[in-house]
Amino acid sequence: MTQQTEREERLTGERTGEPPAVELLGVTKAFGEVVAVDDITLVIDENRFFAMLGPSGCGKTTTLRMIGGFEEPTAGTIKLHGEPVTGLKPYQRPVNTVFQSYALFPHLTVFENVAFGLRRQGVDKARVRTRVNEMLDLVKLPGMTARKPAQLSGGQRQRVALARALINHPRVLLLDEPLGALDLKLRKEMQIELKRIQSEVGITFVHVTHDQEEAMTMADSIAVMSEGTIERLGSPAEIYEDPRSAFVANFLGASNLLEPASVDGDDAIVLADGTRLHLPTGAKAAAGMALGVRPEKISLYPADATDLPGNVIRGSVVDASYIGVSTQFLVTTPLGTSMTAVMQNVAPFAYRPGDEVLLGWEPDHSFIIDGG
Amino acid sequence: MAVDAAAPSVPGWARWLRARLGRRAVPYLLLLPGGLWLLFFYVIPVAQLGAVSLQEGSFERGYAMTWRWANYTDALSTFSSQFIRSFVYAGTATLIALVIAYPLAYAIAFRGGRYKNLLLVLVLMPFLTPFLLRTLAWKVILADSGWVVGALQTLGLLAENGRLLATGWAVVAGITYNFLAFMTLPIYVSLEKIDHSLIEAAQDLYASPAVAFRRVTLPLSMPGIVAGTLLTFIPAAGDFVNAQLLGNPQQLMIGNVIDSRFLRVLDYPTAAALSFSLMLVILALVIPYVRAAGTEDLVA
Amino acid sequence: MATATPAAAAARPRGSFLRFIRRHLISFYAVVALSYLFLPVLVVILFSFNDNQGRFNFTWNGFTLKHWANAFAIPNLFDSLVTSLQIAFLSALVATILGTFIALALVRYRFRGRSTTNLFLFLPMATPEVVLGSSLLAFFLTLGAARGFATIVLAHIMFNISYVVVTVKARLAGFDRHLEEAAMDLYANEWQTFRRVTLPMIMPGVFAAFLLGFALSFDDFIITNFNSGQTVTFPLFIWGAARVGVPPQVNVFGSAIFVITVSLMFLNLALQRRRA
Repeated sequence: MTQQTEREERLTGERTGEPPAVELLGVTKAFGEVVAVDDITLVIDENRFFAMLGPSGCGKTTTLRMIGGFEEPTAGTIKLHGEPVTGLKPYQRPVNTVFQSYALFPHLTVFENVAFGLRRQGVDKARVRTRVNEMLDLVKLPGMTARKPAQLSGGQRQRVALARALINHPRVLLLDEPLGALDLKLRKEMQIELKRIQSEVGITFVHVTHDQEEAMTMADSIAVMSEGTIERLGSPAEIYEDPRSAFVANFLGASNLLEPASVDGDDAIVLADGTRLHLPTGAKAAAGMALGVRPEKISLYPADATDLPGNVIRGSVVDASYIGVSTQFLVTTPLGTSMTAVMQNVAPFAYRPGDEVLLGWEPDHSFIIDGG
Repeated sequence: MAVDAAAPSVPGWARWLRARLGRRAVPYLLLLPGGLWLLFFYVIPVAQLGAVSLQEGSFERGYAMTWRWANYTDALSTFSSQFIRSFVYAGTATLIALVIAYPLAYAIAFRGGRYKNLLLVLVLMPFLTPFLLRTLAWKVILADSGWVVGALQTLGLLAENGRLLATGWAVVAGITYNFLAFMTLPIYVSLEKIDHSLIEAAQDLYASPAVAFRRVTLPLSMPGIVAGTLLTFIPAAGDFVNAQLLGNPQQLMIGNVIDSRFLRVLDYPTAAALSFSLMLVILALVIPYVRAAGTEDLVA
Repeated sequence: MATATPAAAAARPRGSFLRFIRRHLISFYAVVALSYLFLPVLVVILFSFNDNQGRFNFTWNGFTLKHWANAFAIPNLFDSLVTSLQIAFLSALVATILGTFIALALVRYRFRGRSTTNLFLFLPMATPEVVLGSSLLAFFLTLGAARGFATIVLAHIMFNISYVVVTVKARLAGFDRHLEEAAMDLYANEWQTFRRVTLPMIMPGVFAAFLLGFALSFDDFIITNFNSGQTVTFPLFIWGAARVGVPPQVNVFGSAIFVITVSLMFLNLALQRRRA
């Protein structure tokens, strides 16, 4: 039991007295030969905004559907608030889902859509009306009760789908890429809305998305998934600054990954051309590792600059792309590799393609990825 | 959390069934009533027809099952001309119907615009009058004193005292007309599905409109053409109403023969043999077609 | 900046005329084809006003309203109409229910023998009516069943099922499965989901299938002919009368049916347009 508790601790980073909202224990889902979800163990605490992030086909939607009861695991157990729910149909589970396509009933009005779950539970008419109106106020859609889904815009439909799910006071709300169909501005607005609603209502949200920016904006904890397994679990800052795998490093934002030719003592590596780079504090040099540094942590310096940070690599500018907020530089190194650096456009930069520059960053602003 | 409030609405027997048979049984249960119906009223009768076709005897004396394969050879040799005539008439009518229907379907699909559905309804409307009445109307239209015959005589296509009624042409004309909707609709459906950007792409690649039609539109409308020809040819081959009303007794189709054998002469074995032969020939023509096209496309 | 040469300028008016013809040729053809389709209908309606001599109604003799006035003069005619309507309603109803179940099974579930079932359902549509009719006759004869109203209904249900399945399937194909999952997510069990979500949504397709079955049954002649015994449906009445002379009242009723159905259809279209 202690081993399992330790494992749970490692995954969630904290211990709580109550049973967690969602537990997946060794859950696997195979469709014939294809293994969509491969032996996942995951614990999601109460009152958290939890995101499952990954490219398409990584198994995140399948996992969500198993929690909701639309698929049964091939192996493993799923528990909701400590109670195993394996075999229970969706209408027997205390969770509700917001579908990617919203799945609003086209033949029912907004009112009837939102009231659907309440009616199935036998709530009396007066209470239904009160609660529906409350919920529509919560999602900022007052007075839309008589319309049909076809008469609503994408953003409005999204909110109706949300209201329809939340009104049943589920203890866990499952969201399957609900913002995918919205345009950028609306999506950003809804991200903030969802976050606000989650903290106001105080229930656990499990949100599936492939958009890393969305996950990092909204979630308290993120599970990064790839090919049916969880690659990395942690808070947005944790997994961004310390990805621990090349996949996560490249999936969230961009990374420059440097592979050393040899190590130098405990805390430095040496590249093929002799450049010596310091590792971040606490990291141990080992064979097969890679040093990662994100473009925004790197600054360009003129070739003859003197006041430089701890790690410096020489290179020449290949491309400088002005992106409004920042300029993105592509620099080749003597090794033949390219590195990307991004600097904020506080003032115009004088670096042009062909210029010799120095790329510099502080060792503590980088991360390492263990080899193998 | 009143989650279980949903459960009592399922009647007890349904829950018992579900528990016993599980989810997997549901499709079979759904298929059962209809499937049984078809079994009783299609499969068994047709099988029985096959059995009757091998019997011999007469209505008065009763029938005995003697595996008389000779029924087939006798029937086919006696009525070979009607058989062949049926297929010739049906085939001709199908071809003519295709020639008439394709441009019509094309016009509606490509030039119909907002009125597509309305035009489609217009195509179907004439078929709301009873089949027999429509055919009788052709008797009026093709009458000796009618303007059609008159016009053809003036054009020299018909002899001075020639007739249209009671000739093969009248029968073919009747068949063509009566099954035109069956030809038009499937062609329309497959034409309508064609993505216009494909045709634009062809023209972008230097195809003239005629070439674009031949190489893009026509092949893509093939499923519709196949479906239409089948849906026209099959009933046409077995029809006898047109022949009876518009043709003459020397030019009976196999349908007429079967009808009279069954209902008047009461020679059941021969009639059954003829029916079965007709069906087998049609199936032999249809099944390769269907395999090639895929039933999903065909009937959707 | 093209400067028109004299030759081009001369060719242009002619060219555009040809292009006009070519572009509109197909539409012109459509008009002709539609006229061809409506010709017999017009004849039927027209000859309901024919002041015919004798028993036959094939040559035009003058305009009269007397047949419309005496529409119910022929005793068996109206009865046969009623019989046809009854049969059509019953057979369409049962066939629609059975066929919808089958369509649901075919579209929603994956099961062994699904493609065989598809093929099997296609067979009744591919069999000529003479074969269907005669085989049923032989069947009923063997059973010793008296042929009449009941046997006609049974036969009509049989051939209607395939058409219903095809129609409903087409409608079901575009159905979003997530809607049913959403309903179950909101505490509706399978039966409630079916009743409150699935059924209302497929209703238009089911209704269309019912109408199709009704029309097919009402108009059916060949299969009915084989299995009717003494019962007379409207098409059978016409057939029987064709030899001795079809009374113009038949045209009257035929025209009336046509006008009523057309009006209903346009009414339906107008309603749909208003609702959307």
